Amino acid sequence: MSEQATPASARTDAVPIDWAGYVFVAFFTIPFLLFNVLPVLFGGYVAFTEWSIIGAPAWVGTDNFTAALSDEWVRNAFRNVLLYGLIIVPGVTVFGLLAALFVNQGWPLSAVARTFFFAPYVVSATVIGLIWVWLLDTQYGLINHYLAYLGLDGIPWLTSTDWSLIGVSIASIWWDMGLAFVLFLAALQDIPRDLLEAAKVDGANGLKRLYFITLPLMRPVISMVITLQLISTLRIFSQVYVMTNGGPAGSSDSPIRYIYESAIVRHSFGYASALAILLFALILIVTFVLRFVVRER
Amino acid sequence: MAVSPGPGLFGRYLARHNMRMADIPLWAAGMFVALLWSLPFLWMISTSFKRSQDVMTRDIEWLPRVVTFDNYIKVFEFPVIRWGINSLVQATVSTALCVFFGAMAGYALARMRFPGNGFLFAIFIASLMIPAEVYVIPLLLAVIKIGWASSYQALILPTVANVFSVYIFRQFFLGFPRELEEAARMDGAGPFRIFWLVALPLARAPAIAATVIIFTLNWNNFLWPLLVTFDESMKTLPVGIAQFAPVVGSHTQLEGFAVSMAAVTILSVPSLIVFFVLQKYFIHGISQGSVKS
Repeated sequence: MSEQATPASARTDAVPIDWAGYVFVAFFTIPFLLFNVLPVLFGGYVAFTEWSIIGAPAWVGTDNFTAALSDEWVRNAFRNVLLYGLIIVPGVTVFGLLAALFVNQGWPLSAVARTFFFAPYVVSATVIGLIWVWLLDTQYGLINHYLAYLGLDGIPWLTSTDWSLIGVSIASIWWDMGLAFVLFLAALQDIPRDLLEAAKVDGANGLKRLYFITLPLMRPVISMVITLQLISTLRIFSQVYVMTNGGPAGSSDSPIRYIYESAIVRHSFGYASALAILLFALILIVTFVLRFVVRER
Repeated sequence: MAVSPGPGLFGRYLARHNMRMADIPLWAAGMFVALLWSLPFLWMISTSFKRSQDVMTRDIEWLPRVVTFDNYIKVFEFPVIRWGINSLVQATVSTALCVFFGAMAGYALARMRFPGNGFLFAIFIASLMIPAEVYVIPLLLAVIKIGWASSYQALILPTVANVFSVYIFRQFFLGFPRELEEAARMDGAGPFRIFWLVALPLARAPAIAATVIIFTLNWNNFLWPLLVTFDESMKTLPVGIAQFAPVVGSHTQLEGFAVSMAAVTILSVPSLIVFFVLQKYFIHGISQGSVKS
């Protein structure tokens, strides 16, 4: 360890600093600073201004924030997005884990199952709009068609204020699961096989091996999947936009759909930036709480 | 063992797949769910081969009555090849850089001790929480100002720093045994040699997962390419296709539906190919190690 000779290492009690670490992170961090951090800082400034692209932003202090806090649509969208999180995150995590465990058995046709479970992830938002609006159609939709076979009444999935959020959530779970699935599958590959064999010899059945060996070893990945899925669900946009555009009566609206409308459609960039900061605060709080619930190790 | 499936051909086939007779119902149930899961996707492909008058029927028709390629021919009346090349350049270059840089950064964050390590990771995660819809406008204005509008560098460079990649590699190296790296260090290898020759070759599973995910994200990326390409010839495939497959699905005209399905089927092929090519590395699992006697 050549770094030991550097004077800085003396200060940190014999734990040498890996100066090479800065080189390792630099390649990623430089584009990150230029194309993410700088525009975000500018966006933070814009939140305190009134700006419609043309001309310079005009400073208005915290006006945008006070307006947002008393905006009924904002409250509605933020309440919705928490509901989306409560439905979609557990749905994706549980389905993704079950699917990965199933495929990882290596049973016959597992390659086919693997492709089937992953396939929805590759489709674009356009497909979600085209397919799921039709599948969930109240009169002609496939899902109500099969519910009728079971003697159940058709559900107005996307046209009623009670159901639209659930309809969008179903499509989201279908669309998003591929990410969790692939990450879980990759993690399952790295579980030492001799550990599982040893447990088998000791008489642990499949469920016991899953609970005492597989799941604890997958903890970092499960924590990552839940975190990533929660963040992406709190930022839910495309599927809302293409399926219901937030309706009916805002019942499936989400913060980013509203931000999109404020920024890209109405050109109120100051207001949109303020909303984004509020959403960022919400995501930060929820993720922080989550880190206490789902520990990495 | 008394419950072993016996030495028959079928029994041996099952044993080779790490399966017992008792697993068959579970297997069947799992395959059924997998099929259900893919039905909307398969229906998309099927519809892309239907005639437009056969698309909306009272009862669901899973297979086309008449297989037609007209929808695909109509799609290729647009410059989809040019858009496809743009998308391919954008997605491959951006994904390659992102996965490689992400592997380096994720390795350093998991393994190396340097001031600011934890802070940097916190910033990365925090950046995931910021809606692109907001900072995309300042970024767009900057890109136009330096004369990059409708260029490959404008399509590629802002998408390189995808934090997913760093996160995936960091989590992988956190749970990965240190012995091999320690051994290499004893042999006098520097950090770059250790990363390149020891750590990276072992990180195959996360590298594949990251490549599949980031390629798909890049390939389907919509908002940024939409805003930054003013030139028809520099559009990417999703942006180009959106012109005739309206993004808000409920407004799609019936006669355009089958053509739209052909377009989105084409759109989903490259990501599936990437998955197909890389998925063989997902195989093996626990199946090889269990030889029963």
